[in-house]
Amino acid sequence: MAKVYDYLNDRLALDEIKLFASKKTVPLHRHTFWYYWGGISLFCFMVQLITGVLLLVYYRPGPEAYESVRQITYNIHFGWLIRSAHNWSANLFLLAVFVHMFSVFFMKAYRAPREFGWWSGLALLGLGMIFGFSGYLLPMDELSYFATKVGLEIPNAVPVIGPVVANILRGGLEVGEHTVQRFFALHTVILPFLFLPLLMFHLWMVQKHGISTPPAEEAKPKAERKTMPFFPNFLAKDLAMWLITLNVIALLASLFPWQLGPAADPLKPAPAGIHPEWYFMSQFQTLKVVGNLIPGYLGEMVGMGLFTLGLVLWAAVPFYDTDSKNGKRARNATYFGLFALSVIVITTIWGYAAVM
Amino acid sequence: MNYPFWDVPVVGGAWIIGLIAIFHIPISHFAIGGGLFLPMAEHLALKEGRRDWLPILRRHSKFFLVLTSVFGAVSGVGIWFAIALVQPEATSTLIHNFVFGWAIEWCFFIIELSAAAVYYYTWDRIPDKLHLAVGWLYAVSSICTLVIINGILSFMLTPSDAWLSVAGTGNEASMFWPAFFNQTYWPSLVLRILVCIALAGIWALVTLSRMNPDFAGNARDKMIQYSAKWVIPMFVLMPVAMAWYFMSVPSASRELMQLGMTTIGSGMFTQVTRIGLITLMTTATIALVVYFFAYRTPREFTFAHAASCLALAVVATAATEYAREAIRKPYVIGGHMYSNGLRRNEIAKFNEKGYLAQSMWASTQEMKRVDMRAGILMFRGQCGACHTTNGYRSMVKLIAARDMKAIESLLRELQKSKPTGTYHKYMPPLVGTREEISSLALYLKSLSDEGSARTEAKELLGSQ
Repeated sequence: MAKVYDYLNDRLALDEIKLFASKKTVPLHRHTFWYYWGGISLFCFMVQLITGVLLLVYYRPGPEAYESVRQITYNIHFGWLIRSAHNWSANLFLLAVFVHMFSVFFMKAYRAPREFGWWSGLALLGLGMIFGFSGYLLPMDELSYFATKVGLEIPNAVPVIGPVVANILRGGLEVGEHTVQRFFALHTVILPFLFLPLLMFHLWMVQKHGISTPPAEEAKPKAERKTMPFFPNFLAKDLAMWLITLNVIALLASLFPWQLGPAADPLKPAPAGIHPEWYFMSQFQTLKVVGNLIPGYLGEMVGMGLFTLGLVLWAAVPFYDTDSKNGKRARNATYFGLFALSVIVITTIWGYAAVM
Repeated sequence: MNYPFWDVPVVGGAWIIGLIAIFHIPISHFAIGGGLFLPMAEHLALKEGRRDWLPILRRHSKFFLVLTSVFGAVSGVGIWFAIALVQPEATSTLIHNFVFGWAIEWCFFIIELSAAAVYYYTWDRIPDKLHLAVGWLYAVSSICTLVIINGILSFMLTPSDAWLSVAGTGNEASMFWPAFFNQTYWPSLVLRILVCIALAGIWALVTLSRMNPDFAGNARDKMIQYSAKWVIPMFVLMPVAMAWYFMSVPSASRELMQLGMTTIGSGMFTQVTRIGLITLMTTATIALVVYFFAYRTPREFTFAHAASCLALAVVATAATEYAREAIRKPYVIGGHMYSNGLRRNEIAKFNEKGYLAQSMWASTQEMKRVDMRAGILMFRGQCGACHTTNGYRSMVKLIAARDMKAIESLLRELQKSKPTGTYHKYMPPLVGTREEISSLALYLKSLSDEGSARTEAKELLGSQ
């Protein structure tokens, strides 16, 4: 073993990497737990990449989409497992990214010089949600068909360009095989093409500026602040978290395998309680509520305007919360974060209560 | 249908047993494995002069005593109550067959519980050798309880041909030994002992991880490594024992495992495979965490690691026990009694003379005409052991929007199809006269109508 290590070390300079990694430290305090969520998101994404490639072997977009997913689910050895793991890891990925984003927000990790880490993270979340949306249609069963129809109402509501974008995504006026083809290209080529470099950039930002310390910890004298080496301590703990995540995915995939409904039939009425996936529920419900309050085109405009404003304020937080200490502005930013979190949680629960 | 039916809405009676068992089994297996762990560790400490281990072991034995003799014993009695209520016929058969076996087991229980209390309360009060002897007494008596209960549990899957040949004759107890040492007895015993040893190590890690490393120092680290040695080898041996067990079960049960590789289409059949995957994943994770954290870096081993391992061990144990129960389908006692308490040799009689005619809970009028009350009794007696009306394995969902004719034809299929038919691989055959089957169909239709009405109301509310 030592000889193999020496052989590789001479050629790949492993000792230098080890030395570099051991010098890197991770702050150790009562909020350290939240640092693992970025790693959990990354792991879920890796599971999706692997299972996605395996699904690609059998999946056929276009008119045979449903049949190919039926075969994967009911005929191919462990096809159901790969498909279920893919779906569950996608959901867990988005959940982990949401947790990661809010933990970064509340720990003020967006402050200078980490603004680009914050923005690239937001962009990754956005792409992740489009990943989820485009992947949801691919089985082309009844539920995915109608949920996509409903989901496309969100871009459709964007003033002026909305209907055009929705039409481009659909490949026509109705969701059909052309939509599947387009969503497939989006899901397997365009999005990975955008996502992977952005992810590299995001990781480089983390590497470049290190893991941030929350202001409450920063206020302590340097001697009182604790850290742990990135290698092997944090990495070992991170890997243990990955293992736990893998177990959660396996548990969910085995106990609640992703089902396949009947094939989509546009002539049939939509099944009762049709709704978008949970990560779009908040937007869906907000649009519905605003639409009820202000009917018509104006309601759509107001709804989308509110979204845009919220998103801009969210993304621009590094500009208006710049203090290194917890001053008034910092408190206001925290209140804004709590408000945003409450709105998302409440409207999501409300949305589910309305369709159940 | 000699006993009243215990109607547990939403979750169903079977899950009451299951939930108590999920709580009980990790503790009861710890009671056996931990009973071996304590005297062995104490023996090592005395032999090698590691007296700094003794206070740690004393602390562990307190936790052990409270957990096993309070929570383990109470939940064990809870399982008794639950099985007697949910499966009275099967419980009666077990008692009639194994009453002396159980009596002996209870004798060992009394020795075990007494020894556990004496062991804890006599630390530093009696000579070391005597204290250790009490520990060994506990270990032997607790293993004896497993040796006995394992015969009864494995009997339920593979009761042996000898016992089946006298089943229903009243002479069942004459085949006590073949029934006890049945074809899955030894692999099951070995597998359970390995689980007990692994759980002993994991629970010890839980206690040790809660000790302050600065206070307990080197002894803590050494004991963590010692405990890890109880866990890691088991995860090498367990797959071998599992394979042995798998080869010993009836071929029909093995087929269930293979079916789930290909599909999730056949409902509960494929659960066995899915549960198998969970066991594989969780046990592999435990082995990795224990090796890399407890064994390699004991100082870094935290309570979070130990608690995660324990949680995964509970999942693995629950999953394996669930799979063991599931591969017995459609029987509760393999080849003899179906999961709804019907005996295999009584099927023809029930079809000819009627199911409700044998029931102590149906009036003569209900037996003869097609009506809702008779349908409810049929449902409770023959379906209720596994299905609920609108919860776990919901009949409303399974019947869906079928009309009366479709329900009746489905029920006839359940009654008349060959024993090799798809349904009979996991469901008992339906029994009863034409009127009784129609009564059941009437009741199921009413459930389906209720379900549809609810859905329509929701749609109506949703559209408003």
